[in-house]
Amino acid sequence: MEHILVVKNLSVTYVNKNRRVMAVRDVSFDIDKGDSLGIVGESGSGKSTLAMALLRLHPDGTKITGEAFFEGKNLLTISNEEMNDIRWTKIAVVFQKAMNSLSAVHRISEQIEDIYRVHCPQTSSEEIKKRALELLKLVNLPDRVYRLYPHEMSGGMLQRVAIAISLLHSPQLLIFDEATTALDVVTQGQILREIVEMEKTLSTTRIMITHDMSVVATTCNKVAVMYAGELMEFGLVKDVLTHPHHPYTQGLQGSFPSLKGENNILTSIPGFLPDLSKECKGCVFAPRCSHATERCFMEKPPMISVGETGGAACWLCEGEKYGK
Amino acid sequence: MENKSFIEIKEIQKFYPHKDGKLFHRPGEERKKVKAVDGVNLSINRGEILGIIGESGCGKSTLGRVLVRLEDPTSGDVFIDGVSTKEMLKTDPKAFCRQVQIIFQNPFDTFTPRDTILKIMLRPLKHHNIGKNYEERLEIIKKALEAGGLRPAEDIMSRYPHELSGGQLQRLSIIRSMFLNPGFIIADEPVSMLDVSVRAEIINMLIDLAQNHNAAVVFISHDIALTRYISDNIAVMYLGRIVEYGSADEVIKNPQHPYTRVLISNCASVDPFEQREEISIEGEPPTPINPGPGCYFAPRCYMADEECFRSYPGCTLLGGSHYATCHKLKHPSDEA
Repeated sequence: MEHILVVKNLSVTYVNKNRRVMAVRDVSFDIDKGDSLGIVGESGSGKSTLAMALLRLHPDGTKITGEAFFEGKNLLTISNEEMNDIRWTKIAVVFQKAMNSLSAVHRISEQIEDIYRVHCPQTSSEEIKKRALELLKLVNLPDRVYRLYPHEMSGGMLQRVAIAISLLHSPQLLIFDEATTALDVVTQGQILREIVEMEKTLSTTRIMITHDMSVVATTCNKVAVMYAGELMEFGLVKDVLTHPHHPYTQGLQGSFPSLKGENNILTSIPGFLPDLSKECKGCVFAPRCSHATERCFMEKPPMISVGETGGAACWLCEGEKYGK
Repeated sequence: MENKSFIEIKEIQKFYPHKDGKLFHRPGEERKKVKAVDGVNLSINRGEILGIIGESGCGKSTLGRVLVRLEDPTSGDVFIDGVSTKEMLKTDPKAFCRQVQIIFQNPFDTFTPRDTILKIMLRPLKHHNIGKNYEERLEIIKKALEAGGLRPAEDIMSRYPHELSGGQLQRLSIIRSMFLNPGFIIADEPVSMLDVSVRAEIINMLIDLAQNHNAAVVFISHDIALTRYISDNIAVMYLGRIVEYGSADEVIKNPQHPYTRVLISNCASVDPFEQREEISIEGEPPTPINPGPGCYFAPRCYMADEECFRSYPGCTLLGGSHYATCHKLKHPSDEA
């Protein structure tokens, strides 16, 4: 399979007046064409920062090191003009609050035309409308939406509009940053289904950033678990969610009750997120880990491969002593 | 009917005037009403956790607020141990507060930001004359904090709310409500603001509270899997009415009302292999402005026919305590 995006040793540091917060530390992963990768983690785990860094949407003064190759270009070093060309035509993003990402004083039609003309300035209004209506149909919205203002629509409809807009230029890579979190159960379920359905016809690659394991379980085929800015475990959804290797993934899984299956006792992970402005010597999760040994506090574990495609950053996985 | 259960919620209604944008109205002109809660009947026993699920705007939070009398119901009443809360509030409001407590969704807004935790925790004790003097109260707080897993208690007590995490604050919120040893606790989305890894503590704390303190708990949430985990019984609300009620497993595994089926089929599950029937419905929940006269769910329902638009369906008992309000359901004895 061809890699569409290769991220190598990516670190993002927010620099403030008096402190430096290392929000993402040394993250490496790759995505194949047609994959859907779910990035899960708690708040503050750096999952959104990671996405922002890939699109270079981070605030000024942020320090980024590492590499992110997309179609042979390093997204982190190319010029702003080149980056502008890539945004929306090659990589598009849908944010959590669609209500805030759309302008309140312009009709949907105007906003779609605006965005379309940034990349194809010569297109006529009729052509754009044709394309837009096609996409609105794809996300199950009626044609009349094209003439509406954002305040005339519900949250679910706006989120669908945002998804439709992200598809305008048929991007190869779509990033959903908590795109369905603010929605109701029924609307979320429907939109998730539409996203999966849509992919069958469009063959896009998708990154799904969420804190909800169940969203990943229903819509993705690969998953990456992040904690305190570091990648803890990755692999196929069916492997990671059924046999998690990393203690953090196991902990996360233990805190989600099953809908219809056995009612296992919910467990929580004791302790708090570490201070991200301090350098961490050993494994970042060690202070909260019940399996932690002395070695965990002294040495940072590398990504140790487990199974055929997965990997977990945990000393316990060394030599497969554990987890099986 | 004799009040057999500890808490009896009877015909609670809460209507808000509909803001139609007009400043003046013709005399005698009938104003539209938003029926946030429209005739809810429920009963809860001691030590029982009742989960209330539904989409946003279905009136579940309004119901919670009415139960603690943050809002006065338009009509209806709640009986605790056979005593009307309306009467209770008139004769002894403090006694009502000792009996009924609420835990809010956002722990960051629950506490005064300018006071230390100690001061915040002392206030209800002083107000309700628990403990003779300062030292005794301090001892009570310390014990409670340590029992709630907040250690070291002295350190926590000297801190301000912004210095604590959401999970710690939510625990404090529960501990504070427990000081008065209430018999009836309403938890309005207590974990939706918290991170997944600390959710379980709060949930297990609530379960412990119901079992060991023999309190009746109403757990309001939109998270179906979580509600099923914590609750003994589940009530499903739609546009201010209960559409289905029954034991948690019964409602989740064997949903009868079409709305419950839709809710459950759209709920994402952590199990990637789980088989699910896929039902989609049209549109979003409408606003509860003069709904009816038929079944409120009929316009979005995939099973609706003429009858559903004509009259609101009555309760169909489905065995045990499980009931649903739908025309399409037949009483088990009818089929025989």
